[in-house]
Amino acid sequence: MMLARVADSLYWIGRYIERAEHHSRLCDVMLTAALDQNDAGVTVARRAASAVVDVKAVMGAEATMGAARSLVLDRRNERSVVTSLARARENARQVRDQITSETWERLNLLYLRVVSPTADRAFVRGPSAFLQSIIADLHLFNGAADATMSHGQGWRFLLLGIHLERAQLIARLLNVCYGDQLAKSPLEDHMTQVSVLRMACGLEPYLRVYTADIDSRLLLQFLLFDLEFPHSVRFCIERMEEHLRNLAPPGAAAARSRPERLAARLSGTLEFADLEETLAPAALLSAVAQECSAIHHAIIETFVSYPLEQRLKA
Amino acid sequence: MKSGRTSAARAPAIAPFYPVERAYDDMFTAEGTLRPHYRQLHGRMSALSAAELADRQRTLEQSFLLQGITFTVYGGGEATERIIPTDLFPRIIPATEWALIEKGLTQRLRALNAFLADVYGGQKILADGVLPRDLVLGAASYRREMQGIYVPYDAYVNVSGADLIRGEDGGFFVLEDNLRVPSGVSYMLANREAAKRTFPEIFRSARVRPVERYPDLLLAALKSLAPEWRPDPQIVVLTPGVFNSAYYEHAYLARLMGVPLVEGRDLVVHDNIVHMRTTSGLRAVDVIYRRVDDDFIDPLTFRRDSILGAAGLFNAYRAGNVVIANAPGTGVADDKAVYAYVPDIIHYYLGEDPVLPNVKTFLCRNPVELNHVLANLDKLVVKAVGASGGYGMLVGPHATLAERRAFAQRLKADPTNYIAQPTIHLSTAPCLVEGRIEPRHVDLRPFLLAGSKITVVPGALTRVALRRGSLVVNSSQGGGSKDTWVLAGSEAKP
Repeated sequence: MMLARVADSLYWIGRYIERAEHHSRLCDVMLTAALDQNDAGVTVARRAASAVVDVKAVMGAEATMGAARSLVLDRRNERSVVTSLARARENARQVRDQITSETWERLNLLYLRVVSPTADRAFVRGPSAFLQSIIADLHLFNGAADATMSHGQGWRFLLLGIHLERAQLIARLLNVCYGDQLAKSPLEDHMTQVSVLRMACGLEPYLRVYTADIDSRLLLQFLLFDLEFPHSVRFCIERMEEHLRNLAPPGAAAARSRPERLAARLSGTLEFADLEETLAPAALLSAVAQECSAIHHAIIETFVSYPLEQRLKA
Repeated sequence: MKSGRTSAARAPAIAPFYPVERAYDDMFTAEGTLRPHYRQLHGRMSALSAAELADRQRTLEQSFLLQGITFTVYGGGEATERIIPTDLFPRIIPATEWALIEKGLTQRLRALNAFLADVYGGQKILADGVLPRDLVLGAASYRREMQGIYVPYDAYVNVSGADLIRGEDGGFFVLEDNLRVPSGVSYMLANREAAKRTFPEIFRSARVRPVERYPDLLLAALKSLAPEWRPDPQIVVLTPGVFNSAYYEHAYLARLMGVPLVEGRDLVVHDNIVHMRTTSGLRAVDVIYRRVDDDFIDPLTFRRDSILGAAGLFNAYRAGNVVIANAPGTGVADDKAVYAYVPDIIHYYLGEDPVLPNVKTFLCRNPVELNHVLANLDKLVVKAVGASGGYGMLVGPHATLAERRAFAQRLKADPTNYIAQPTIHLSTAPCLVEGRIEPRHVDLRPFLLAGSKITVVPGALTRVALRRGSLVVNSSQGGGSKDTWVLAGSEAKP
């Protein structure tokens, strides 16, 4: 039994946590790429950033730093890391009785660190170290949640949020980098592809599967369809399907809930998709984004803001 | 303490003696001898250096911040979270004194619950003229809607936290009964946890009675209120929400009891049954431990503009389908004018003498007492009966002549609205101030639970006026808190 409002909060904690982590990683890679003499690095950094912030056509190292700073520490920026963490923590505070102290304390500590008056100085002094430590702390949060929370409804809503957000973010990243480009001007530069893999947290796992021979088709194959890599789109969708199946009320097997049906359908699409058939993966990536958004709405309608008339006994 | 631990910082923090002022002090007698129950703690504290104490203080504050034991201060455009200042030096209440407190508070709560049952029932006490009818029925906190409603065990007040103070001779008085929605119990529990971590060695040998069972005692009291035909009752804690200053406590209690923390928007009343919205539909609720004031629990019955409660909640309560704890309308028994009659109330229902005395109270509605109050305005504290939290109040000795004159006008215009009490010199207890031990004024708030029976939890929240000489212990005005050790009696010795 779980309050609808609590489920909603846990789901959003998951989404905000994942967003903060992804954007931290994006900024870290972007700042590192901007240091290289190679133009291609800057290109991909700019393209990746354009998925989440307004980026000017030409950007020097200084402007990249400014964009990164806004994406990390600007409270007025809706999608910044600090905003995401503040919202995750605010949601956590509202369901403080439903998450374990270990989990809460990880998030609270991280929040207190990014809003402290010294955060800005720490970021400017060593942006990479600062971002790495945020990512490490978020991994601690995920670990604490996994190790200390009961793997029941609440935990499943948290993970639903994480996986949905992750699938959307990876799909968007791939779309801006490869959407229409694959046919026209493929991003064949090695450094560029490494950057994309880094942003998706997938460099090392990719190397283990395909070795350092980085090819954009293999890269897409990996980030879209890999069954074992936790940041691949298919992996995320399959986890969501699994959580939604477990969240369904017992005895409803004949009529699957709408979010579960949508997730299973998307999972099927990804299972049988063939990159070779399409010259540009844009259509597939857009479909993923649309389906994810449909699943989000279905989750809210099914579990959180359902119409009361349906649930009252006559 | 900042850098370079000098030899001065390594010196013991504790002076063998601090001068005791006019007020009673917990640790030293007026002659300057150490009270026996403080001997061990005093000895161990003396062995710690100022730097060590400051270190432990920092550790404690850090852990409170980490756990999110904070209250929110609004202002300056942005909300900031602060921890309630906590003093490390525990306060000790010996077993004999505690026995008296326990007996006195139990007696008082029994009498006050009987009084509420009578006021909202046959009103015999008013018919017998023990209290003036208009004083009770005219009180702002009297809830006409509660008349004739069934309340299990006549336990109108289920959770209370009386404020006790020591007089100049050290005896305890009841200053306020706090029968509405008293808070602070989470600080009692958090302070205890901190004290155990900070002074494990002292704690172990002091034989302190545990407070940790509070959440399960509370749950048991709430469960005892549910109807017998609901064998596994659904209990919930109702909070006004995350913006309430006591939100941490609401979440804390819900978590430790293992029950849902709900807000008004989670509740739906249909066919006089209260439901909560869960992910798999609606689920009936049996007992609501509400931390929302009477006025806000049901916009259909009380304040129309409230969005904190649930529409129709009171009708469900009236129909007997849900229990609200504390019952609405308990405020009439801790009204400041009714307070003056509590000794009479105890006599009337129990036929006993009060164990714990009241603070002398003058009712301004009574012309003789009003004249006395007007003549002695510079010595008295005057309070408005309906108000709480230090509002609408005059502290005579600290007021200017002009302030007193202005207040006298208001007093004469509406005497029934005021009571007066002598200015009380709160007792002092040793506190850790910047690495030194100094006396600070304190009060004592023990917590009582009443369902099928009354329980006094052996511990309390001691509130401290952290500024030297200050008598104000409210957390909104520079007050802090500290752990309170109720010692096990000698009969419990192994």
